[in-house]
Amino acid sequence: MIDPVPSVLVRDVTKRYAAGGAEEVRALSGVDLDLPPASFVSVEGPSGCGKTTLLNLLGLLDEPSAGTISWDGHAMAGLGERERSRLRLRNIGFIFQRFYLVPTMTASENVELPMRAAGVGATVRRARARELLGEVGLGPKADRFPHELSGGEEQRVAIARALANGPGLLLADEPTGELDTANTEAILDLLVGIQAREGRTLVLVTHNPKVAQRARRHLTMQDGRIVRDSDAPEA
Amino acid sequence: MRRWRRRWGALRHHRWQGVLAAAAMAAAVALPVVLLSVGGGVADHEIRALQTSGYQITVSAAGQHGIEGTHALGARLLSIANVAQVSPVLSLAIDAFPSGGTPTPVLAEGVVPGPFGETLGPDESGLFPHPLPFSDPTDLVHYDNGSYAGTPDLQVMVAGPLASAVGLTVGSTLPLGATTDPNRSVPFTISGTFGVPRSAIGPAAAFAIVLPLSELQQLVGLGRDPVTGALVDASDTIDIALAGAAATDPTAVDQAASAITAIAPYYSVDALTQQAAQLGQTAAVLTGFYLALSSVGLSVGLVFLALVLVRQVETDRRLIGIRRALGVPARQIAVGWLRTSLVLTGSGVVAGIAGGWAIVSYLARYGQGSVATAAQLAVFDPLTLGLLALGILGLGAVASLAATRRALRLPIWEVLR
Repeated sequence: MIDPVPSVLVRDVTKRYAAGGAEEVRALSGVDLDLPPASFVSVEGPSGCGKTTLLNLLGLLDEPSAGTISWDGHAMAGLGERERSRLRLRNIGFIFQRFYLVPTMTASENVELPMRAAGVGATVRRARARELLGEVGLGPKADRFPHELSGGEEQRVAIARALANGPGLLLADEPTGELDTANTEAILDLLVGIQAREGRTLVLVTHNPKVAQRARRHLTMQDGRIVRDSDAPEA
Repeated sequence: MRRWRRRWGALRHHRWQGVLAAAAMAAAVALPVVLLSVGGGVADHEIRALQTSGYQITVSAAGQHGIEGTHALGARLLSIANVAQVSPVLSLAIDAFPSGGTPTPVLAEGVVPGPFGETLGPDESGLFPHPLPFSDPTDLVHYDNGSYAGTPDLQVMVAGPLASAVGLTVGSTLPLGATTDPNRSVPFTISGTFGVPRSAIGPAAAFAIVLPLSELQQLVGLGRDPVTGALVDASDTIDIALAGAAATDPTAVDQAASAITAIAPYYSVDALTQQAAQLGQTAAVLTGFYLALSSVGLSVGLVFLALVLVRQVETDRRLIGIRRALGVPARQIAVGWLRTSLVLTGSGVVAGIAGGWAIVSYLARYGQGSVATAAQLAVFDPLTLGLLALGILGLGAVASLAATRRALRLPIWEVLR
């Protein structure tokens, strides 16, 4: 049985991609990571160091080439796409740099999307979407379409959508990468507040040290490896 | 409304692809709609004409060696159980001379006026005056007891189109002859006119005349052999009507046909019920052919639809990736593409049926000749069209499989990069 806020263990994970012909790109090499429940972790590092690959593996969007990932002791390897999809729907909330809202849906409908997929009734999910949009300060704009919102507002909608099914694990990939300073601060305040208030695990990928500072634990990656973990004992 | 307009605006890149896919399906659907409605309508009309005909059995032997001794044979056929009317007909092309010396080919039908009028079907009976305006309804004044000793009435009815075309009126004289030589023609008096039955697959007989059988026989030399003087008394068809309930009882019809065959084994004896059944089978074969022909267009339309859907998957790969990343089950994604395919296919089916109806209506109104007649007979059977629509929707569902497969095989991490 997986806890709503799972303990995640990553052991000796390697991820290789084909790079045309017989060549391979090694995106991750022997990564070990423990994420106890309610962790707030930032992952820093230069472009191409493997941050997003690690996030994709944690979020079950991709599978490791070697090594294991387990949630509460349950190995994720070998799960079928149906089961992985169910875990993503119930246990993981994604926040992307480019927001990735569905342009043909209003803000409210975007937030309802994961709930609809989970089979939540229309009345309940509508009320919950309004509630979540209210929490991120977008109550009055619930019926706006994405192209009618600013970048900061779109990211707030994306955060509300990530919270829709009450996931224990929030994975944010450069969530402030496309925002100005004021909006960056506001979004970070929102995420930090949610994490602290609701005790979810939050993994925040960023290349911005100022953003990373807001986390309690800091990972630094380079060339597909975690080269620094603020929680690890000093060598 | 504003909300839907904004939603529609966001679908800008899909709009024309969808319209084109629906248009392709509409063009593919219109063809079977036209073929099935017109072909089915014509077949239904002809079968109904056979089923509601005023006679149920025909004896035929066309050509130079046609039926001989017609009047005597008719009297014998009348003695068969359930036989109520016997109507012999001799059909020949002869020449008329409506304006003096210029010959006009006409289709002459020699009939015994009384039985002929009684064996007309519902469609035809409205085209002829009742009774026929001939002074000898039995055709036994001129022809009597195997001789042609009586005085011919020399009366003829002409078809309305012929009367209009050459300016004939009731009471005027119309010379008729077996050859183009006007000097050998015989003057007949026009005693009436008749309409032309609508038929898409039979001869229209617009230039036709009807006259007593014995007078046509004598006119063309088929009363007596001109050389030997032997009695010929020829016809090519004898229509036989049964009495009362026997007319609609297939067993009684078959029994009467057998009895007729026993009397005249050297002539062809056909029951119209059998002809109707054969025509029905032919119509079914034609329907299959129409569907096979239409399947070519439908295949092209469905391939186009499948390509448009796959193209939409490529256009929407990021949106599909978002949905899958959020955990939307594969089944829901498949249902989404199925719904899109069914909406496009359904739109095409509706537009195709409307288009087919419009084409047939246009042909019925502005078409020429038998094309217009066939279009006027078209039947838009809701059951047939419904089954056609269901079949095409089913194929539309199959067309969505390629798009669904592609959508579910997109690597999520790659499309969200």
